[in-house]
Amino acid sequence: MAIPEQSLITDEHRAAIGRKSDPVTVTIREEDARRMRDVLGDTDPRYADGTGIAPPYVIAMLGGGPRRGMPQVLPGGLLTQQEWRFTRPFRIGEQLQAISQVYDIRDRLGGRYGYSVLVTQGTDYYDADGNHVAAAMITITQFDPKMASGRSDE
Amino acid sequence: MSQRYYEDVNVDDELEPLERVPTTDMAIDFFGRDNPTNPAFADAEAGKRLGVGGALVPGLLKLAWITQYVSDWAGTEGMVRSVRAAYRRPDVADRPLVLAGRVVEKRVEDGAHLVELEIVTLAEGQPSTRANVQVQLPSRG
Repeated sequence: MAIPEQSLITDEHRAAIGRKSDPVTVTIREEDARRMRDVLGDTDPRYADGTGIAPPYVIAMLGGGPRRGMPQVLPGGLLTQQEWRFTRPFRIGEQLQAISQVYDIRDRLGGRYGYSVLVTQGTDYYDADGNHVAAAMITITQFDPKMASGRSDE
Repeated sequence: MSQRYYEDVNVDDELEPLERVPTTDMAIDFFGRDNPTNPAFADAEAGKRLGVGGALVPGLLKLAWITQYVSDWAGTEGMVRSVRAAYRRPDVADRPLVLAGRVVEKRVEDGAHLVELEIVTLAEGQPSTRANVQVQLPSRG
């Protein structure tokens, strides 16, 4: 595939910016918290068994996360930026509502991918009272592997 | 884990470097053996086919390490408020990563004592991930 002469981002893609998804219910699972804590060797007493608090990085396991419904402009994808924000600690067993939206879609010309598209999407997590608990955001650099030496998505 | 207070922190303070050696088992266990993940996280050949040079270290695992690194530095009364990472180069399993960082700003905002840090993961001395982390610390005041 040759480098396109004009943007491959369509009006349909742009229309997705700012449109919020339907909420998805996700659960902070004790088994995830324990397993991830063990892998990291995390001995922080705040997250020990019985405290009822999960370490912040359990956010990595929450379904309904930022990739859900992400517009796919090009077939290849490389995770280039990622952000977590925490308003309060996660509680083991609590259910959260995940609401995602696309923040930005933009073209990039040049670099190792020739032509690429950067899609930034995020998910906010709310508790049963509607209070914000955390957020996750990612930027995926989408590219056509035929135009670039492919790299796996991290 | 000792407690760090806002008043004890100065801009340009450096965090003690910490070495981690990511393995394919860690990558699989981090997500859970029953959960599907990128095959390149567990299979060096799959990673090589993608031009990585071996099994790929998941970005989420590195982000979790960075979060833990700063959380441990802050102490149990501190709280990591945000972590923003830019993945500059892929990291390969079984190759040591060194976490390092420094304080770049401190301020009080709406009564919260906030410290901003720059954190890097270094592979063979070269940054592979650059992160900005905000942590809230307790005050002695």
